[in-house]
Amino acid sequence: MLLLVGPVIAAAPPQLDVEKDTTAIVQASYIYNIAKLVEWKDPGMSSGTFVIGVIGGANLYQELIKKYSTKAIGKQPIEVRKLPRSPNIDRCHILFVGQSDLALMPEIYRNLANKPTLIVTEYADALEDGAVANFVKVASTLKYELSVTNARKHKLEVALTLKQLAHRVVE
Amino acid sequence: MSGRLHIALLLLALPVLGAAQTDLLAEALRKYQAGALNEARALVDEAVQEPAHQRDPEAWLLRGFILKDLYKARTGTPEGEADRDSALASLDRCLTHDQGGTYTENAAQAYDFLSKTYFNDAARALNELRPDDALALYGKYTAATDRRGAPPDRAAKDVEFHNALGTVYTKLYNQDREQLSWYDKAVATYEQVLRIDTGNYGANYNLATLYYNRGVYNIQRVGAEYDIPSLQRIQEVSREFFLQALPYMLKAFRMNPKRRETLLGLEGIYYSLQDAERSEHYRKLFEELGPEEDR
Repeated sequence: MLLLVGPVIAAAPPQLDVEKDTTAIVQASYIYNIAKLVEWKDPGMSSGTFVIGVIGGANLYQELIKKYSTKAIGKQPIEVRKLPRSPNIDRCHILFVGQSDLALMPEIYRNLANKPTLIVTEYADALEDGAVANFVKVASTLKYELSVTNARKHKLEVALTLKQLAHRVVE
Repeated sequence: MSGRLHIALLLLALPVLGAAQTDLLAEALRKYQAGALNEARALVDEAVQEPAHQRDPEAWLLRGFILKDLYKARTGTPEGEADRDSALASLDRCLTHDQGGTYTENAAQAYDFLSKTYFNDAARALNELRPDDALALYGKYTAATDRRGAPPDRAAKDVEFHNALGTVYTKLYNQDREQLSWYDKAVATYEQVLRIDTGNYGANYNLATLYYNRGVYNIQRVGAEYDIPSLQRIQEVSREFFLQALPYMLKAFRMNPKRRETLLGLEGIYYSLQDAERSEHYRKLFEELGPEEDR
């Protein structure tokens, strides 16, 4: 008689989606929405490509390329640039500096003090240092805080919606 | 046909050949031995209708064996399925009526064999991503084994089957993540395993992974068409999935602290919950594992 023995069910366990950087996905969406809700008053910024520069934040850069690099802000096509670790920044509408490169921030703030660049970063007290937008963790989610004061210094006009939806606004 | 059964059934034909019913049974045996299974089946079906054989373990044993061989000849067909069900029912009747235990060993072996084919077929259905068929076959397996008294490994088999079933539902959900019915079934199935065995590593890990991946998928869908309120709502929904995943992944980790998958899972869950410190803690534990350490 044929005997059937032993377990015969062989099911591989489900795989974790750990390669998906959820924070980078959320940050990219915020940056795109910020771009849509801010007006660059400097005449030199209203033509050519709309440049989003990224220092650090490799996954954020990839996410911006993947989902937003074919979009436009107004009539300006988005151009996403991965920038070298340097405080010398070329023309940029939005500059994101990731946590790994915060040492560059003091020099970046100095170099961009009067330039029409919206600086976005992700550390405590960034608005007090000079950033226009800063990612903050609130109740296990990611939100942003906003400095309208710093925006004005960079000749940026922030839409009311962007202010209303921010976790904190510095006027 | 086993040697023992052969002898047992030959005995059946010897002393009472004079009776008409026994002729019918003896003829069924001859046909069976000659490999004429359909004819044997017709004869034995007629024989067991006779009052003299309705409680005759020998007649039911012969019917069980004829149907078992018919099942083996027609495996995978609806007819074969019916043969298997009938074979088991006949063998069960043989065992019930065999007060002297003359046929018990042969009948029990055949019954056990056929029961296990249900389990194996259920496993095959799982491997072919046919969960409904698998469930039906597993139901037949448990019904068949329970009829003879629940086997000692019933709980272990239930856990093994339902863990694999949950994985199949998960695979189907992963093929189309808009099909939430597969997701719901996967969750319910893993929860069922945990009701049987709360400390089951696989179910804890798999359920955590299911919740976590659902949260990640929600966020992954975010694109240019999402405004800030939508983005914030999606984060809140995903946060709930990550929070649901956490206790199960922590339990899996406590059960087996050196499994790479749970360390990665906790790193990912805490990262998605914006808890960089804890995420980093589990990343370090992961990196500290030696190449051979993954138990």
